[in-house]
Formats: sequence, C-alpha cells, structure tokens
Amino acid sequence: MGDRRWRVAVVASACLLVVAVLTTAVATDLQAHARNRSEHTRLLAAHSALAKRRTDLAVTTYVAALTTNHRNDLQASVAAALGQIASTQSSQSGADVLGYLQSVDIGTLHTCLGGVQQSLQRIGAGDDNGAAQAISAVSGACSTIEGGAGDGLVYPFDFPDPDVVLVGSTYYAYATNSVAGNIQIISSPDLTHWTAVGDALPSLPSWATPDETWAPTVAQIGATFVLYYAVRVAGPGGGGAECISVATATQPQGPFADTSTGPVECQPNLGGSIDPSLFIDPTGTPYLVWKSNGGGGASALWSEQLDAAGTGFVPATTPVQLLVPDQSWEGGVIEAPDLVSVGGRYLLFYSANSWKTADYAVGVASCAGPTGPCTKLPGPILSSDAGMKGPGGESVFTDASGGLWIAFDAWAPDAVGYPNSRSLYLRRLSVSGAVPVVAAGS
Amino acid sequence: MTTTDVREAGGDLDVSEAPLEQRGHHRGRRWILAAVAFVVLAGALGYLVGNEVQANTQFDQAHHSLDVTRIRIARVDVQLASVRRQLTGLQGQVTQDSATLAADTNKLNSAKVALADAEANNSRQNSVITDLHTCLGGVEEALNALSVGDQSHAVAALDAVSASCDSAVAADG
Repeated sequence: MGDRRWRVAVVASACLLVVAVLTTAVATDLQAHARNRSEHTRLLAAHSALAKRRTDLAVTTYVAALTTNHRNDLQASVAAALGQIASTQSSQSGADVLGYLQSVDIGTLHTCLGGVQQSLQRIGAGDDNGAAQAISAVSGACSTIEGGAGDGLVYPFDFPDPDVVLVGSTYYAYATNSVAGNIQIISSPDLTHWTAVGDALPSLPSWATPDETWAPTVAQIGATFVLYYAVRVAGPGGGGAECISVATATQPQGPFADTSTGPVECQPNLGGSIDPSLFIDPTGTPYLVWKSNGGGGASALWSEQLDAAGTGFVPATTPVQLLVPDQSWEGGVIEAPDLVSVGGRYLLFYSANSWKTADYAVGVASCAGPTGPCTKLPGPILSSDAGMKGPGGESVFTDASGGLWIAFDAWAPDAVGYPNSRSLYLRRLSVSGAVPVVAAGS
Repeated sequence: MTTTDVREAGGDLDVSEAPLEQRGHHRGRRWILAAVAFVVLAGALGYLVGNEVQANTQFDQAHHSLDVTRIRIARVDVQLASVRRQLTGLQGQVTQDSATLAADTNKLNSAKVALADAEANNSRQNSVITDLHTCLGGVEEALNALSVGDQSHAVAALDAVSASCDSAVAADG
C-alpha cells in the first residue's frame, strides 16, 4: 500500500514536472515569437525609412544637378557679358581716340582753312605780303593735314621749283611766283619750320611779263646775292619768249633788283631758255646751267661759265650742251638742272617727263666737270611714292652740319596737276659710291 | 461486477492478491502508457524547442538586417546632408551670379549706349572733316588760280566748295 502511494506520488510529481517544463517551453516559445515579430516590425520601419531617405537623396541630387546647370548657365552668361563689356569698352576706347583725333583734325583744318581764307582776303585787298604772312602762319597746320613731315613735306602750299641756300644759320628757300609775289621766299632756322618772308623780287624789269617768273636760283658771290630766274619776255598778247634774267641783292631775303634791259639767255632758235641754276665750283668759279625748251626738237640742258661777279657770261664763251632726253622714263623732256660737287664728283640732277603728271621724276648724271661731258646714271633716283606724286624742280644743298639734302616740289597723292599745289619737300641725300640715294619717305 | 473488478476499480487492488498473469498485464499497460506519454511529452518538448530555436534564428536574422539597414540609413543621411549642403551652396552661387549678371547687363547696355553715342559723334565729325577738306581744297585752288591772275577760275573754285564750307561751319557751330 505504501509502495503504491509512493509510485502515485512519483507519477504525480513527474506529471507536474512535465507540465511545468511544457509550460515553460511554450512560454519561452511564445516570447521568442513575439520578440521576432517585434524585430521584423522594426526592420520594416527601417526599410521604409531607408527608402524614404533614398528618395529624398535622389530628389535632392536631381535638384542639385538642375541648380548646377542653372549656375553654369548663369556663369557662362556672366562670362559672355563680361566679354561683350570688354569688347564694347575696347571699341569705346577706340572710338574715343578716333573722336579725339578727329577733333584735332577739325581744329587743324580750321586753323589751316582760316589762314588760307585770310590770305585770300588779303589778296582781294591787294596786300600780297599780308597774304604770304597769313598763309605761312598756318604752314604747320596745313602740313599736318597733308600728312605731316613723314614724307618730307615741310611747306604745304604752292612752292614750285624750290632752291634752298644756307646763309649764316638761316635757310632760305625761293620758288616760282605765287600769291606771295614774283619770287616766293620763305626762311627756316631748322629746315622744318618755314615762315614766309615775302617777295624776293618785288619789281620786274619793264621787258618782263608779270606773273610769269619761275624757277629761281640764288647764290652768294662775294658780298652779293645773285638771283637768276626764268621769265617770259613781254610780247604781243603775252606770248613772248621764255628767257633767263638776273637780279642782285645785298641780303638773301632781298629785295633783289633786276636792272637789265633784256634777258641774259634766250636761245630763241631752241624754243627759249628756262630753269636756270647757279653752280659755284670748288675753285669759286661760277657757272650757270639751264634748259632749252627745244622748239621743234628735244629739250636740252646747257652749261656756261659766268664772270667773276656771276651776273653775266664770260665773254667769248658759248653754251655747252650737257644732256638730252634719251631714257624711256624721261618721256622726251628733261629740265630743271642742278649741278653740285660732292666728294670731288660733279653730279647733275635733273627733272624729266611731264611736270603736270605723276610720271615726273628726278634723275642724275655724273659729269667730268661743270661743262661736262656727263653720263646719266640708270633710272630716276626720285619718283612718285605713296606720300607724294610727280617730284621735280629739285635743288641739292648742304646743311649746317655738312649733310646733303634735296629740295623738290611734288603733288599731293590725291591732287595731281594744275591748279593743285606743288608743295615743298625736303629729304636727306646720300652718295653711295657715285650713286646718289634719296632717303625714302616714312 | 465481480469483487475483483470492484477492487480494481477502487484502486485498492492488492496485486499480491491478483493473479500473477493479470498483474503482469496491468503493469505492462502502465509502462506502455508511460512510454507513450513520455514520447508525446518528448515530441511536444522537441517541437517547442525547435520552434523556439527557429524563432530565435529569425530574430537574429531580422536583428542583423535591422543593423545593416540602420547603417545604410546613416550613410544615406550623410550623403543627403552633403548634397543638401552642396545645394545650399549652389543656390547661394545662383543668387550671387544672378545679381552679377544683372549688374553686368546694365553695364553692357550703358557701354553700348556710350559706344553708339561716340560712333555717332565720330560719324558727324567725319562728315565735318570731309566738308572741311573739300572747302580747303577749293580755297587753295582759288588761291593758286589767283596767283596766276586767273580770277574767273578762282571764283569758280570758291563757288564749287561754298556748300561744303557752309556745311562745315554750320556743323561745327
């Protein structure tokens, strides 16, 4: 009986134990499942949060990309605007400079025009000296208008057939008749700034035709200044012969007086004599070289020795022909001779072709002496260029430092032929071997 | 019901009193019941343990995934913050560049107006210069004509340029 109870007790205890174990196991299982579900719930929430943040990131990145493009477009526009501003400001600067230069041009034109108009008014009032002064006063302004001195232009008014001499420290230039008188004369201390002096030959001899005097040449012989010039002899209808006459003065600016009763040289059988040029050789002997018009034949250049006073030819001498036109560029005409002695050589400069055209040019010949014989050097040494046309009427002179210069007249490039002006140009001259070289205009 | 049965049903059966065969039979049934109960209990317990292990495994997996996801969220947050800072900077630049562009556009327009004025002035001055050149050329021509006594030519030359001279004076005045 006791054994039975013991067994029942054991079984009951076992059953209780089993129930306890099972209960514990079930509870633990339920707890594990609950925890598992809770974790899954948190995981789902985390996934959702991650998805939302990824969406935000994508949207924000897209907006940033759009903003970047917008910013880049703006910066490109700013750069383009800056470029346009720089370009516009550059153009503005150029326009301002141009405007300033135009203002200067206008001022210069007004100055030049004012002088020329004043000169015209003085002529109308019969005041030729005043006209010359008025026009020379605006020489600088008018030179600037014609392009400045880069091409050698120093006197921008009509000043044909110039002849330049140095007396003391002053240069005097003489030229064909104009409003300034029968023989124009201007002076300069530096070969750059020229001022009208007036009329070197205020009175003509009675046998001469007024307003028909040209191509002067002046030299100092002893204490006397001797002027030779071309002049038309008075004749019926003003159609007298073209001849050469002489006048003298005690100072370079004159007044020169021509007391002759007739011309010094005419060569009527050769069509007349013009374009005289005085030459004093190294021994002090004066010569005169000139041109004969040719009449029915060709023109020619001549030379003849003058007397000691330089006012007449040496008796018993006759003219010697130096040159005739025989080069194609000369166009059948040579004239305006100018003989100089350089380094023991005699160089005869001359102009050739038609003086009214841009074909007019300057050539040179080498001579054995003042009366030749002469041999032409090839081609012209001075002809039209970009800055001037038809150079000629030249004269060669030495400056105070011993430098050689050539003075000549030329047309402005856009105004060739009468009644346009032939202005005065000066350029440096050098002699390379036996060949003279004229400095180019800048 | 026999006396034996009653005793058995009452639980007070004295085995020593039951026949041996019958007592052995009862003992075997008890052991079978006990074995079955044990098996059932063991199965139930095994099921519960396995189920819990599986639940714990799933929990571990979920927990690991949660950790990974939280790390990813943190990384995305960093990226997002960076992009937002970048966007803020860009928007500042856009504002500044827009202001600069507006100012430059105004400046450009002013420069264009000034350039147009300068070019118009230059054009006017060029016209004046042309007139002055024409005027001067005529006056010089008249001067040259007078120098050779050709008064009719001089008058004609002045007449030819009078319009240009008047125009230049009027424009300059």
